[in-house]
Amino acid sequence: MELEFRRRDYGATQKSQFLPRSQALKHPLSSTLASRQQQAKTVRGSDLDFFDPLRGLDVNASAEEKVRDTSISIEAVTQDLIKEWKSLKRVLMQRFPVSKVISFSPISNIITKRSKVEAPSALSHSEETGSEQTSLEEPAKIINQQEYIAKVHELREGINCAWQAEDRVKSLKLSIKVTKLLMDTTVLQFYPTVFVIVTDMLDMLGDMVWERIKQKSELDVDGTVICSLLNDFQSSDICLEARETCYNWFCKVGSVRELLPRIYLELAILPCWRFLINQPMEVLDRLVMMVRGLADPLASLYCRLYMVHRMQKFGFCNSGILIKCIKDIEDVLAPVLVDKEGYSYITDDKKLLFSLMEPAIEYIVKCLFLTGRQENNVLGMLEEFGFGRNKFQSSCNSLHVSILLHHLLKELPSELVISLATEILDMIKCTNDCSFSQVLNYRLLGNKLSEGKSQEGFLSSLIDEVIQAASQYQSLYDYLRIMDAYVDLMLQNKMENHLDALLDDIVNLARDKFLSEEEQASLQSIILKLLAHFENLQEVLPLNHFIEILDLMSGTSKSSVNMHLLNMGTRSGCICDSTTVQFLFEVSQALYDATDFVNIKDDDNRQTSHLISRFVEMVDYGAEMERHLMFLAECREAFNGIHELKETLVRSSNTLAVKALKAGKKHTNFVKSCLAFSEVTVPSISSPTKHLNLYLETAEVALLGGLISHSDGLVMSAVEYLENVALTDGLKSIDVDSMASVVCKFCSVLVMIPGNPEKGVMEILKSIFSATCSSSWATPRLKVKIFCAIMSLLSTLSQDNLPYHSANPEIIGNDLLFFGDSSYKQGLVSCTQLVLSVLLDAIEQESSQIARGNMALEACNCISSALVMNEKVTELCLRLLETAKDCLGANDRYIESTKKSLQL
Amino acid sequence: MATATATTVNVKLSRSNRIYRSSEPVEGKIVIKSATSISHQAIRLSVNGSVNLQVRGGSAGVIESFYGVIKPIQIVKKTVEVKSSGKIPPGTTEIPFSLNLREPGESIVEKFYETFHGTNINIQYLLTADIPRGYLHKPLSATMEFIIESSRVDLPERPIPPDLVIFYITQDTQRHPLLPEIKTGGFRVTGKLATQCSLQDPLSGELTVEASSVPITSIDIHLLRVESIIVGERIVTETSLIQSTQIADGDVCRNLTLPIYVLLPRLLMCPSVFAGPFSVEFKVCITISFKSKLAKAQPKSDPTAPRLWMALERLPLELVRTKRDQFSC
Repeated sequence: MELEFRRRDYGATQKSQFLPRSQALKHPLSSTLASRQQQAKTVRGSDLDFFDPLRGLDVNASAEEKVRDTSISIEAVTQDLIKEWKSLKRVLMQRFPVSKVISFSPISNIITKRSKVEAPSALSHSEETGSEQTSLEEPAKIINQQEYIAKVHELREGINCAWQAEDRVKSLKLSIKVTKLLMDTTVLQFYPTVFVIVTDMLDMLGDMVWERIKQKSELDVDGTVICSLLNDFQSSDICLEARETCYNWFCKVGSVRELLPRIYLELAILPCWRFLINQPMEVLDRLVMMVRGLADPLASLYCRLYMVHRMQKFGFCNSGILIKCIKDIEDVLAPVLVDKEGYSYITDDKKLLFSLMEPAIEYIVKCLFLTGRQENNVLGMLEEFGFGRNKFQSSCNSLHVSILLHHLLKELPSELVISLATEILDMIKCTNDCSFSQVLNYRLLGNKLSEGKSQEGFLSSLIDEVIQAASQYQSLYDYLRIMDAYVDLMLQNKMENHLDALLDDIVNLARDKFLSEEEQASLQSIILKLLAHFENLQEVLPLNHFIEILDLMSGTSKSSVNMHLLNMGTRSGCICDSTTVQFLFEVSQALYDATDFVNIKDDDNRQTSHLISRFVEMVDYGAEMERHLMFLAECREAFNGIHELKETLVRSSNTLAVKALKAGKKHTNFVKSCLAFSEVTVPSISSPTKHLNLYLETAEVALLGGLISHSDGLVMSAVEYLENVALTDGLKSIDVDSMASVVCKFCSVLVMIPGNPEKGVMEILKSIFSATCSSSWATPRLKVKIFCAIMSLLSTLSQDNLPYHSANPEIIGNDLLFFGDSSYKQGLVSCTQLVLSVLLDAIEQESSQIARGNMALEACNCISSALVMNEKVTELCLRLLETAKDCLGANDRYIESTKKSLQL
Repeated sequence: MATATATTVNVKLSRSNRIYRSSEPVEGKIVIKSATSISHQAIRLSVNGSVNLQVRGGSAGVIESFYGVIKPIQIVKKTVEVKSSGKIPPGTTEIPFSLNLREPGESIVEKFYETFHGTNINIQYLLTADIPRGYLHKPLSATMEFIIESSRVDLPERPIPPDLVIFYITQDTQRHPLLPEIKTGGFRVTGKLATQCSLQDPLSGELTVEASSVPITSIDIHLLRVESIIVGERIVTETSLIQSTQIADGDVCRNLTLPIYVLLPRLLMCPSVFAGPFSVEFKVCITISFKSKLAKAQPKSDPTAPRLWMALERLPLELVRTKRDQFSC
């Protein structure tokens, strides 16, 4: 029995399936866009109000008021500080990695040589009997860092054990020995680590002593509770016995001869003074002064660090003490900074020393500001450092060490910085020493000023001064680094003159010079700030020397700037201005040249290629279409390595062709050139699906232009390519689903393309079919999909009225061309038979049961919708259903619905 | 014999720090632990306070002739009966006691000097409990030292403000030879110190390095005791170190004031005493050590001895007992 296609009335079907439509007043997506903008605005607004617990200043409030407002409770401060201390310890341990092997001077011989009490079994006899005194001839001991730390931990354990065993004297003796480790600063980098371990031990000891004395005052001899101490107890609440014990501890600690361990140990038991006196102010003053006796800059600074930590922890701190402390630090640093001849120069040793000091200084200054805020006395505190006075006074009292000034400035709220800006600037000018880069201080000032709102009036003269100071540096790098921090200020306050001057300076300084990597980076930062400030490229390009400055750059900085430029240029709609196009083309070219597209394929390249493609896409020459096509050709040549771009080029040229078609008939030749451009460009695209898609797209455009021979040629190229894909199988990049969809699309395009009677109407279809059958890249699933598509196409072509035609009325569809031609219909039927004959086999080849079942049902539905259900077709469908049942089970819902539609 | 060894006697004082004043009764209990019952004669408690003097080594040179010659000076010696003869039951028995060192109206020969343990002079108060058990058994006994501090009533008020002695140390104040570079380079360290000091208070003062061309390695405060004994017609004096306290470690900043703060060690110090046959005095020695290769080569010895690389200043220190401050009981 012959197969027969189902009749279709596409018009009626469309009418019956058409969904009712109603007009919408608003684009559903337009509102979200607006709200997103709003959101972005609020985010930016809240940025200014961001509450940093250490600064936390409202923009509107005056500085002093705000300082009062944000004063914080002691508990909060203590909590903060506990966290700070923990993170400081982490920083100290991590920032200063130590070489594996450390040699120690005799002072650390508790580590290399231990007395009997500690761990008798582990020691050799010679060491046990050796005297404590080390002679000069003895070489420094070499020990591994891990061993060192492990031994300190062991000692700490020993202290704990002795304490638990009520042997407090031994506990104290061991603690003294461990604390003495801090006297050794010979291995600088190791000092922070030792500091952390030892102070941990001291904190532990301090807690134990405190608990013991507290217990003594709360319990009597038999251990019964006689009273319980409140948190804010008075020394008069403490019984004599407990006070006796407490005083005894201070005596024992006080009898240590060496200054450093004596201070550390007293700091460990510092809170215990509360058992003896209510306000240990005198004690604190004395301790601050005692630390002055430590001459070693590093040891004394870390000792002060521990002192501040202990005082803060127990709420003893006040700004007076901290100010004294900081001034002492300054005195200690003075001789380090300047040698006997009065020269200040930096050596590697000093650099290391200052890097070791920095975290400690930072912590102390942080504490100072916390305390100052707690006391509502930030301004008073600053006065101590010479702020807010007239110039004559300030010179004698202000900070002179730049590392201190830096950290002070860092903690200052930006409102205060603004109100004190000129003084701060003077101070920065005065402190030019090797402890910290003056450049960074200038930068910090600029950044702080940018944070808040400031009046243009004083800014202008301030920036003048900064520019002057910065240009005194001989190096471009320093100049750039300083000015980088002030660019935002200039932009925010619309100080065009200053900006012009800055750009002038840059060009003058950098002219005829090769810029180093650092200089490039600074320049990059400045340019990116400019780019971020302006809305679009047209505002940036006319800036003084802008292009010239861009030309100064090279390497990765240049690429980065170029990326930003491209991004900015393609941000808003199409690019029509020819100079902008030319500029961006050059930028793209530079970017392209800087990137290795052939060998490296990574995300960065992808971004670059995406940006360039986007730029090409955005370019619009308007009526100058030929110019546009030339531009596309130029791009193809220039950016040969970017695959993504080729697709854009074909699309653009196709768009251009369509645009020309719309403009009227006179452009036929131009349309042909566009098609030719596309046709030539497509073969270089490597992805098969994209390749095919673009052929089809171009063919459609040709069809639209009534250029049948072109479209035929393009379709033939597509078919050939499909066959070639079959030949060059093993291509892993073929994605089954997209391939299926491309071939389906191919089929649907074929609906519009008039058959060529000379070559045989079915030729193209048969080629697709045979290419699919013979290919090894086509999986059974893909085959079934393609076969179904071909079957649907055949059914469609058999209709008297095709569902759609080419938009060009000159193109006659197959329905008209072969109307009433029985051999044509015969051809369609025989073709269908051909497809059906391999369809079942293809389904059987599928290995997955579930997939096989679904494919059977899919094919079944396709067949039933294409063909009239005669006996032969019914039998076929039943067989397919049987296969599906075997694979999916009888109760599958897909089977049910298929059965229903088949009306079986 | 087993029971005898198992029996223990202890004297327990009412105060854990064992400090009493001569006007106060010494109170406590005798604690006897025994497995069996013990019969005893009258249990007695005796108190014995004395100044023990001895001369050994040191400056005199002809030591042997003096050795052991000096008789101890008796301050107090009395015995009281705390329990008449009887039997002590097995287990722990506590016999409380209260002993007046000085009966009102009783005149004593010597002053109650404060307890002091020195090199040549020892002022010591002992409490001894004796339990005689007839001839067949060994007597049991226990001894406990207690500490005497001066009586409350006759103490002076704390000196307010304390007298501060101003000192300055330069290359010219040194009576011993200095290294040439120190001598020519010069140095100047000034300061002040309270030389009259209450025993409960720390020794306090301050010190400033004003100038020094040679780097300083250490500045130390040494407490010295000076014990003098009259032996025959001679006075034997010995100075010994009690405690050293470092106040500067390394070449400290010039013109920064450093505190002098030394807590006085208990028992090792007492109020300065000038009794007839003996005296106990104290001194403070400030030493400044300068950087020198010689210093390293020298083995450790008396840190207060004059050296080429050291500058010294000795100041007398008068220690007094004042009315109780808040620290001690």
